[in-house]
Amino acid sequence: MGKLQDEVDLLRAIPVLANMPANKLKLLAFASDRVSYDAGEVLFEQGDDADAAYIVIRGLADVIINTDNGTNKVAELGPNSFVGDMAILSDMPRTATVQAAEKLDTLRIRKDHMIDMMKDSPTLAMAVLRELVQRLAKTTADLSSTRDELTKLKAG
Amino acid sequence: MALEATVSDDGAGEPSARSRRKDPFRDQNTPLNPRLMRYIWGHTKAEQLWIGFVVLASMPTYFFALQLPVQIVNEPIQGVGFEDPAATLPFLQFQYDLPSWLGGGTLDIFEGWQLERWPYLIALSCLFLFLVCANGLFKFYINTYKGRLGERMLRRMRYQLTDRVLRFPINHFKRVKGSEIASMVKDEIEPFGEFIGDAFVLPLYLGGQALVAFIFIMTQSFWLGLIAVAVIGIQVTLIPYLRRRVIELGRQRQITARLLSGRIGEIVDGITAVHVNDTSNYERAEISSRLGKIFFIRYELYQRKFFIKFLNNFLAQLTPFLFYVVGGYFTIIGSLNVGQLIGVINAYKDLPAPVNGLVMWDQKRIDINVKYAQIVEQFNVTGIQDARLQAPHSDPVPPLKGDIQASNLQVLDESGTPLLEGADLKLPLNTIAAAVGPLGSGAGTLANVLAGLLQPSGGRLMHNGKHLTDLPQSVRGRRFAYAGSESYLPQSSLLDSLLYVNKHAPLHPLDEAKRKQLMLHPRSLVETKASGNTTLDYYADWVDYDAMSINGPQEVYPRIHEVLDVVEMNDTVYDLAMRNKLDPRTHADLCQELVRARLALRKQISGSKLEEYVEVWDFEKYNEHATVTENLLFGTAREGGGFDVDKLATNQTVREILSQEGLDATLFEMGLELAETAIDLFADLSPDNPFFEQLNFMTPEELEAYPPIIARAREKGFDNVSEADHDALVSLPLGYVESRNRLSLLSKDIEDRILKARHALHRRLAADGGDGIIRYQDDSYNPFNSVQDNILFGRIAHGYSSAADDISEAIRDLLREMELDDDIYRVGLEFDIGTGGKRLSESQRQRIALARALLKGADLLIVNRGLNAVDQRSQVRLMDRVLERARGEVNRGTRGPQPFGVFWVVSNPALASKFDRVLYFDRQKLVADDTHEKLMENNDRYHELVT
Repeated sequence: MGKLQDEVDLLRAIPVLANMPANKLKLLAFASDRVSYDAGEVLFEQGDDADAAYIVIRGLADVIINTDNGTNKVAELGPNSFVGDMAILSDMPRTATVQAAEKLDTLRIRKDHMIDMMKDSPTLAMAVLRELVQRLAKTTADLSSTRDELTKLKAG
Repeated sequence: MALEATVSDDGAGEPSARSRRKDPFRDQNTPLNPRLMRYIWGHTKAEQLWIGFVVLASMPTYFFALQLPVQIVNEPIQGVGFEDPAATLPFLQFQYDLPSWLGGGTLDIFEGWQLERWPYLIALSCLFLFLVCANGLFKFYINTYKGRLGERMLRRMRYQLTDRVLRFPINHFKRVKGSEIASMVKDEIEPFGEFIGDAFVLPLYLGGQALVAFIFIMTQSFWLGLIAVAVIGIQVTLIPYLRRRVIELGRQRQITARLLSGRIGEIVDGITAVHVNDTSNYERAEISSRLGKIFFIRYELYQRKFFIKFLNNFLAQLTPFLFYVVGGYFTIIGSLNVGQLIGVINAYKDLPAPVNGLVMWDQKRIDINVKYAQIVEQFNVTGIQDARLQAPHSDPVPPLKGDIQASNLQVLDESGTPLLEGADLKLPLNTIAAAVGPLGSGAGTLANVLAGLLQPSGGRLMHNGKHLTDLPQSVRGRRFAYAGSESYLPQSSLLDSLLYVNKHAPLHPLDEAKRKQLMLHPRSLVETKASGNTTLDYYADWVDYDAMSINGPQEVYPRIHEVLDVVEMNDTVYDLAMRNKLDPRTHADLCQELVRARLALRKQISGSKLEEYVEVWDFEKYNEHATVTENLLFGTAREGGGFDVDKLATNQTVREILSQEGLDATLFEMGLELAETAIDLFADLSPDNPFFEQLNFMTPEELEAYPPIIARAREKGFDNVSEADHDALVSLPLGYVESRNRLSLLSKDIEDRILKARHALHRRLAADGGDGIIRYQDDSYNPFNSVQDNILFGRIAHGYSSAADDISEAIRDLLREMELDDDIYRVGLEFDIGTGGKRLSESQRQRIALARALLKGADLLIVNRGLNAVDQRSQVRLMDRVLERARGEVNRGTRGPQPFGVFWVVSNPALASKFDRVLYFDRQKLVADDTHEKLMENNDRYHELVT
C-alpha cells in the first residue's frame, strides 16, 4: 500500500489520533480527501459553516482573524497540524480564516466522519477532550495574564 | 368578454324552466341524485328513447327469423304443398287476415312470386340468411350505441365526482383519504358504465325477445308453452332469493377493497414512519389480515355465484328434456308436426337466455344501486362550495382596495377546540405586517382564514362591507397569494409548476397548426358536451401574462429569472440543467452549440491553472481521474445495449478482450485486494454509517457477501474459481479510481494494458457494427452524458480544493459569453420535479412556492411560516427582497414597481422588526397589534420572545 499508508502514518503523528487502532486510522484516511491549495487560496472563511477539518501534509497555512480593526494573522501552521477541528465538534461557525501561505497539501476529514469516529471510539473522544481541556487551560492562562497587563496599564 | 357558462344542462328539468334564463350552475349545485335509475334517466332520456325505438324495430325481424325455419322444414323439405312435383308456392307473400269485426277475409298486400320446390327452398334459405344478418346488424348497432351511452355517462359521473371534490370544504379533506376517493372515482364506478347502457334498453330488449319467443311457442303448442312458463317461474323466483346474499357480499367486497387502497396509500405516504419505527412487519400483518377478510368474502362470492350458474344451466337443460318427452308425444299422436317441434325447441334455446339476462339485469340493478348510493353519499358533502364561486372568469380581476376587517373573529376546529378567539383587527390591504407567535398561537390560523383555507366559525370577516367568504375564487385566487410551509407541488416541469398559479382560464386559443399536431379526435368537442364535461380548452394557453406583469410568452423567461432571483433558485436551476441529459432530437441546435462550447472551453483554459483541473478524454491515454470502466469503455454505455456498468463483468465481449490482455487475472487480484481492504475497514460499521459514502466500488449489502467469496477464491485460485465468484471479484476494481481511492493498485503497466484493451474493444465494435457504447468523440454530442460532461469532455481532477467550483464557473462564464446561458436556463426549467415535488428539497419547494406567489401579482401576499425549511441567513435575505418588492422599491416584470400588502407569519420572531406592523398572538388570541418598536417598549412578553 502506497499513498494511503503514508496518510495513515501522517494521521498517527497527530497527537489526538496517536492511540487509534490501525484499521480505524486507515478508514479515516480512506474516507478523507487529499486536497491541494495554491498560495493564497482559502481553506475556509471566518463565519462559514464548518463541514471539515484539515491536516496539513506539506506547506504552510496562515490563520487569520477578521476584527473590526482589520485582519490579523494570529498563527502559522506547518505539517502535521490539525486545523479547524474545534468548529466541527459543535455547530458553531468558523472562528478564523485559514489561507494557504504557499503550495499546500492537506487531508480533508469530513465533519460527520470525525464525529462518527468519536462516537465509535472512546479513546479518540478522550484524546480530543484532553486536547480541548489543554487548549482551554492555555487560553485561560493567556486571558488572566492579559487581564493583569490590562489592569497594570490602566493603573499606570 | 366573460366566458359563457360551460356546464351543459341537458334538460333534467321541466320545459318551463328552459324558457326562463337557465341557471348554468344548477346542475353542479344540485346534490347527486342518490337513485341511480333517476340519475341515468335524467341525463340520457333522449338516447334511451331512441335506442328503445331501435330495439322495438328489431323485434319483427327477430320474430321472422324464428318463424322461418318452421316454414323451411315443413314446406320445401317435408314437402307440404309440394305433393304435386309441378306445384309452386308464393314467395314473399304478404297478406293480413282481417279481424272478424271487420267482416273477416284476407287483405293481400303482395301476392308474392310463385316458385317451385327447389328454388323455393333456396329462396327461403336466402331469406333466412338475410334475416340473420339483419338481426346481427341490429345487435351490433344497439350494442355500440349502448356502449357509447354508458361511456358518456361514466365520463359524466367521473367528471361530476371530481368537480365535487374540487368544491369540497377544505376541512373535509382531513376526514377522507386521497387514495379512497381515487379508488371510488376510478375503479368503483367502472362497472356502472356497462350497466348504464343497459339500464333501460336491456329489460326492453330481453323482455321483448323473451316475449316474442314465448308467444311463438304458445302459438305452436299451448302445453309446451306452459312447461316453459313453469320452468321460467322457478328461475325467476328462486334465483333472486339466492342472489340476495351475493349482493351483500359484493357490497362488502367494495368497502373492504376501498379501505385496502386507502391503507396502501397511507403506507406509501407514511413510509418514513414505517422505516424509522421498524413497523414494517406490523404493516405486513395488518395488510395480511385485510387481505384475508377480502379473500373469504370473495371466496364465498365465487361459491355462491357458481352455484347459481349451475342451477341456471340445469333448469335450462331440463326444459328441452321435457320438450322432447312431451313434444315428442304430441308429434307421435299427431297434434304437433315435426317442423313445429323443431321450431319450439329452437325458440326455447332463445328463451332462457333473455329470461336469465332479465334476472341478472334486475340483480345488477339492485347491486349497482347499492354501490351507487354508497358512493354518492361520500360525495354529497355538507358545506360543499357553490359552483358559482368557482365559475371560470377570463376578464382581469381588478385589484382589491380598502381594508379587511375582522370583528370578534373566531375559528374552531372540528372538535370545537378554538384555534383563534375574539380577534378584532383592521388590515388595510397594503399593510406590511408580520404575525408573531408560537405554533398554535393563532397567527397561522388567521393567515389560513385570510387565504380561505379555514372558515370562520363566528364573528365577522369583511372586505369593504362584504363577507370575505363570499368572494368568488376568481377574486380570492388571483388577488391573494399564499405560501405555506407545506406547499404541494404536483408533478410537472419546474416551469409549469411556477406558471401554475396564473392559469385561471383559457385566455389564448391554441393556433390551428399546433392543434393539428395534437391529433385530437375529431368528435372530441361533441363528446365533451354530450358527457356534460367542461368545454374549457385544456390545450389553450391559460397563462395570465398580464398578472405576471409581462406582455406575452416571449417575456416569461426573464420574468421567471427575476422571481427565482428573489428566492435564490437560479443557481439551482442552472445546476439542474448542467446535470440534465439533453435529447438531441428535441434540442438539436443546443447540442451542436454545446460541442462548440466544449472546444471553446478547451481553448480558453489551455495554459491556465484550470488546465490541470481537467483531464480531457484522449483515446491514446489512460484518464487518471476516471474509473477503470470509463477508461476501458471510453464512452457511455447505451441503456440496454449490453454494456451496462453494473453488469459489465459478465459481458462476453468485455471478457474476451480482458483475457486477451491478461487483464482478467489482474483485475481478479485487484478485486481480492479491494474486497479485503474494504472488509478490513468497513466490516464492523453499520450500513447507514456515513463512511460508506466513500466506498465507491461496493454497497454495504455487497460487503457482507464478500468474505465467503474471498475464502473460496483464495482456496481455488484464479484458474479454478467459479464463474459467479470470478465476476463478483472482477467487477470490484471496475469502479476504482487511483487518484481518489489511493490504494496504489494501478501500476503503469496495468494502465497500459487497459489502454490496449480499450483499443481492442473499439476495433471489435467497429468491425461488428455494435452500438452498445457511445464513444467519446471530440466533435459530437453524447446523448447519454449530462450537459456538464458534454462540455467538459473529461474528468475533474481529484485533490484540488477548488477544481470543481472553478471549472463550473469557467463553464458558466463561457456559456454566458456564447449567449447559451438562456438556453441552458430553459433546460433547467424543464426539470421534472417529481411527484409532490419530491425531487426538490423541502427548502427548494418552499422557495418555489414563494416565487410563484410573487409571480401572481396579488394585492396581498400571505406567507404562513413559508420559509421555515430555509436556513436562517438565506431567510433574512429572501425576506428583505420580498419586502423591497412589497414596498414598491423594485420594478416588477416590464411594468415598473407594483407595491402589495404582506401578511407574513414569521417563524423567527426576531425578523418581525423588518415589518411596518406586528400582530402578536398568544394562546389563540391576538394580544397586541402595534409597531415593532412600540411592542419592544411596552410588551414584556414580546420583548422576551424576540430577544
